[in-house]
Amino acid sequence: MAIINQATKELQVKIVYYGPAMGGKTTNLVQVHDHVQTAAGNKGKLVSLATSSDRTLFFDFLPIEAMSIKGFKTKFQLYTVPGQVIYNTTRQLVLRGVDGIVFVADSQYEKMAENVESFTNMEENLKTLKLNLADIPYVLQYNKRDLPNVAPTEYLEFLLHNREVQVPSFCSTAHRCEGVFETLNMITRMLLNKFIRQGTPQYA
Amino acid sequence: MSTLPQLIEEDIERLDYELRELLEKTDASTALIIDKGGFLITSQGDSRQFDLTTIAALASGAYMANQTIANLVHETNFNSVYQQGEKFSMFVLCIDDYCMLTVIFKASLSVGAIKYFSIPAAQHIALQLKIAQERDPGAGLDLSELNLANTSDLFKRKA
Repeated sequence: MAIINQATKELQVKIVYYGPAMGGKTTNLVQVHDHVQTAAGNKGKLVSLATSSDRTLFFDFLPIEAMSIKGFKTKFQLYTVPGQVIYNTTRQLVLRGVDGIVFVADSQYEKMAENVESFTNMEENLKTLKLNLADIPYVLQYNKRDLPNVAPTEYLEFLLHNREVQVPSFCSTAHRCEGVFETLNMITRMLLNKFIRQGTPQYA
Repeated sequence: MSTLPQLIEEDIERLDYELRELLEKTDASTALIIDKGGFLITSQGDSRQFDLTTIAALASGAYMANQTIANLVHETNFNSVYQQGEKFSMFVLCIDDYCMLTVIFKASLSVGAIKYFSIPAAQHIALQLKIAQERDPGAGLDLSELNLANTSDLFKRKA
């Protein structure tokens, strides 16, 4: 959970991009890294622990700082998980201490089963950490909207968003940076509002 | 999930003191206290030549991965990771349920000495964290200075 350092007026928040393999999680981070407007020195290096074929092996990590929040130095740590099914233990490790989640779904028709499986897997992994998805701010991102074989957003909503608690969802084409910043801004706003409302995240 | 205690200035000063003492005794380059979720809590020593934010995230991941491997081979007594380098080495030691001590030191230094002095340092740090926890275990969060006005775009895309 978030680290609040009252001594140094620092707030650190962990956001994890989750979703099926090859859905665009790493692309989201790459686009944020390449295009985010920052004051000098507050954008960290994008670290990718990937295989030789550029598939995420452990996680991608990007630390960035929001400029517009006054009073606290607010640092966001963006992580991705490896999407491939075999790396489940790794996904559990990366989820540890998560504050907010972006679920990146692949909009292609043939990926629907993988989307649902990944979403269910995310809920299960959160349970192993004694966390409940209903208590964690999250947003849905329907990626790859530029491809010809995409399912209608209504169908994606039905599969992934058919639940009591409604959360924001975004269409995106991550490789063109469309929808990437909208998604990131929404999850960060949701997180900060949750902290202010509840006032009980973890501290340092 | 368990929570870290709220650390006030006095706590951070004590933690920094312990890290400085450790650096002095061992001649190590940098010492960090990191959260097991990957956050850097505080550090002492040379912070210019290392990217401490990234090291914290990776050291936490490496420690947790090794702990999982240890569990898979039925090892119950796992509390540290040693990464041996040619220029710099790194030693990560569990402090308590939430935090780890990470020491970066020149490879020419003895890892035995690093381990020897890190253990009591971790114990002192754990004690301070316990004091902080007992001081006010249910302490609320003071984010009164956090100003969320004009944050329609927390992150902006470069034009």
